[in-house]
Amino acid sequence: MRLRLNFWTIVAILTWGLLAVLLFEPVGSVLITSLFDKDGNFTLANYGTFFSQWRFAQSFFNTLVVGFGALAGALVLGCTMAFCVSRFTIAGSRFLSLLSILALVSPPFIGAYSWIVLFGAGGVVRGALRDFGINMPPIYGLGGILMVFALKFYPYVYLMVSGALGNVNRSLEEAAEGLGLTPWQRVFKISLPMVFPAISASALLVFVLAIADFGTPRLLGRGYSVLATEAFAAYSAEIGSNFSMGTTISVVLIFVSLVFVALQRYMSRRNVYHGNLINKPTRIRLKGWRNVLAHVVVYAIGLCGAMPVIVSVYYSFRKTNGPVFQDGFALQSYERILFNLADVVTNSLTFSLVAVLLIVAAGTIVGVLVARRTSLNTSLLDAAFMIPYVMPGIVIGIAYIAAFNTGPVVLTGTAAIIILSIFIRRLPYTVRTTATALRQIAPSLEEAAVSLGYSPFRSFLKITVPLIVPGIIAGGMLSFVTAINELSSSLVLYVGSTMTMPVRIYLLVLDGDFGTAAAMSSILLLLSGLAVYIAFRFMGRNEQALL
Amino acid sequence: MAYLEIKGATKSFGNFTALNGVDVSVERGEFFTLLGPSGCGKTTLLRAIAGFNDLTSGDITVDGADLRRVPPHQRDIGMVFQDYAVFPHLSVFDNVAFGLKPRKVPAAEIRTRVAAALAAVHLEKLADRLPAAMSGGQQQRIGLARAMVINPRLLLMDEPLSNLDAKLRIELREEIRDIQKQVGIATIYVTHDQEEALAISDRICVMSAGHIEQIGTPQQIYGNPQTRFVAEFVGTLNRLAPGAATDTLVAGLGVKNAALWAIRPERLALAAPGEAGVAGTVTRYTYLGREAHVHVETAVGNLAVQVANPGMAAVSAVGDAVTLRLDPASLLAFDADGKRIGAEP
Repeated sequence: MRLRLNFWTIVAILTWGLLAVLLFEPVGSVLITSLFDKDGNFTLANYGTFFSQWRFAQSFFNTLVVGFGALAGALVLGCTMAFCVSRFTIAGSRFLSLLSILALVSPPFIGAYSWIVLFGAGGVVRGALRDFGINMPPIYGLGGILMVFALKFYPYVYLMVSGALGNVNRSLEEAAEGLGLTPWQRVFKISLPMVFPAISASALLVFVLAIADFGTPRLLGRGYSVLATEAFAAYSAEIGSNFSMGTTISVVLIFVSLVFVALQRYMSRRNVYHGNLINKPTRIRLKGWRNVLAHVVVYAIGLCGAMPVIVSVYYSFRKTNGPVFQDGFALQSYERILFNLADVVTNSLTFSLVAVLLIVAAGTIVGVLVARRTSLNTSLLDAAFMIPYVMPGIVIGIAYIAAFNTGPVVLTGTAAIIILSIFIRRLPYTVRTTATALRQIAPSLEEAAVSLGYSPFRSFLKITVPLIVPGIIAGGMLSFVTAINELSSSLVLYVGSTMTMPVRIYLLVLDGDFGTAAAMSSILLLLSGLAVYIAFRFMGRNEQALL
Repeated sequence: MAYLEIKGATKSFGNFTALNGVDVSVERGEFFTLLGPSGCGKTTLLRAIAGFNDLTSGDITVDGADLRRVPPHQRDIGMVFQDYAVFPHLSVFDNVAFGLKPRKVPAAEIRTRVAAALAAVHLEKLADRLPAAMSGGQQQRIGLARAMVINPRLLLMDEPLSNLDAKLRIELREEIRDIQKQVGIATIYVTHDQEEALAISDRICVMSAGHIEQIGTPQQIYGNPQTRFVAEFVGTLNRLAPGAATDTLVAGLGVKNAALWAIRPERLALAAPGEAGVAGTVTRYTYLGREAHVHVETAVGNLAVQVANPGMAAVSAVGDAVTLRLDPASLLAFDADGKRIGAEP
């Protein structure tokens, strides 16, 4: 007993140490740097600048506009799709949810670029329409950002809300029907309040993801700046680089994000109705034009969401001459990757695999600690693990530069700093899923093993571990998807030799080399898809786990 | 000295006392039931015997050896759980064989012993299946076979039937009883179902709020309750309303200090026409097939009467005037502390 207690005490100490070095110190550095001027004197001038300069006020306002706009768009698309798929018989609904998974795991900002290819200044679709005499404005600016965000983030709303709709006991709606409510009244008075927690939680999640997104406003904004792009600009400007301004913007971004994450946590906790599911919801088979309309709407959403993926796979096989597309198909883009950019693919694979191994090892042990050794210490730990959720990737990147550029440990320019930044951002997920999985295993299982003659530790190994391993592998695979697609923190942290695939894609897109970018995106997509497939093999098809 | 001896078992959680100085002794081969409402301490006592929660103070000995000094996994006690606790990742065979492995039983012997245990619970055909898709009854049979196959010194069962439906509950409790008698293993059985306790036990220990109300055979517990709690918890009890009518009724019995008079529904009967008795009016009639419950408002309170084999014609309507046959010798008297007055020792 005494020895085990010591083991877990050591784990707790190590965990706090890990958090201190990889999380508190960097985030603290951001805060501190924002409070000092170039000569090292304490000052609030940075915040003064932020709140007095029109440019920053504008980007702050823009961030909120983008956040709420993305929230509204994703809600409309996601709720429509969730409602149609879970209440009506839709042909090929598994294919539809595959489309939403594609949108979910597609590499970041490639969405933005694909839409530029279609609807940008020289866009294919726009050009075709012009031939017919239809002039539509190019996609740049706020409208484009919001459209891309709505299509990129709707799967979060769709998956969460359709999960909740599937849990509304049909008897409740029947009871309302019996009491004389019309179908519309039933939707608004019964179904909607029941799924409201899922709707609000997913909406706020979309908000937090949207304001953290860097690539989309960067590519589509054309002068429409948000906090994430401002922070990166302040950090990366070659002349007059203003690091403390970058950290100041980061702190503001953290704060906005924190408010909405707190709101999301609050929303997802209250009003959660646990009904029995004796009477499962059924799907209605629509007739005539209603049926056609429902199918058109959900397939339009699904296909538009997956459009970037379709576009990049298609263009990856197009013949090119330099950056210019030619008629016909060829494997030139893939050849270019194979001969010139193989190291980038290797980097991405190595970094992601190392990060995932670390995440799984540390996450599982800490998850056991959090689930099984409940004390004040561990609930604090649980809370500390919320911090990475709040941190936009760009901020983690800037924080790691602030913490590891000078001082006792210099990591800038190494692979380690990229791996660690991925590690800390994804660790909380594994801790949480492990802890949840452990809490779902009845304590009586281990007690049964003890009563049959196994020591507590052997009972844990023989019973609990085999039961949680499939979930851990699946979680590891999903972390791999996040890791290999990570752009914003790597963009701040990379040097030439540690370039990853998303960074390379971003640079290729800036250079206008869309063929290579598309091919690399397709490779990234293939790897992500493979990981999702393995994850689903281990835990069953469960789209909810992707959130 | 009895086989299992528990002396002064006390368990406190902070200010709450879950067990307050409980003494229990169980003989070899005895089927012993802890019966009481939830929160009475029965599960706490069982888990203390299993070793999952230690006592605050008290002694537990098996065969004269101090059990509290033995870690739970070396106690050699079989346990059957309310939620079955069947290992979902192991086949039925491996579940049952699980406890034989740390005992270093040779593989050939494991096969024969597991086969015998599975045959005893009628699961021999399902040995290779995974338990996940099985019914509650089948899962609990696995749990039972798994606990019995190690030939434990004691078998503990924590409400093993409470998650099963009524019919299966009766079927399985008879099987448990038969197997226990064949193997002759001392068994402690926890339940809150009084009918189950009466049906299955050699002796019953009725508990309430951390202490023992009464220990005895099913007949003693039901027929000769020592306290008002036991009389009310096991079976149903009609309480006579205090007042002049009740005083007149019990006057001939010569009992003093009675705070409450009560009678079991089956001790009452509807009198034949013209027969003397307690007059009343029917307020409710519940027909249950092999019996009927007639509620009658009388001068001594509203009394439920159990009528066995109610014929097709014997239907009482609400508002009917009836007379009850009430033998004052069947009345139970309790004092102000809830102790039975005039109980047989």
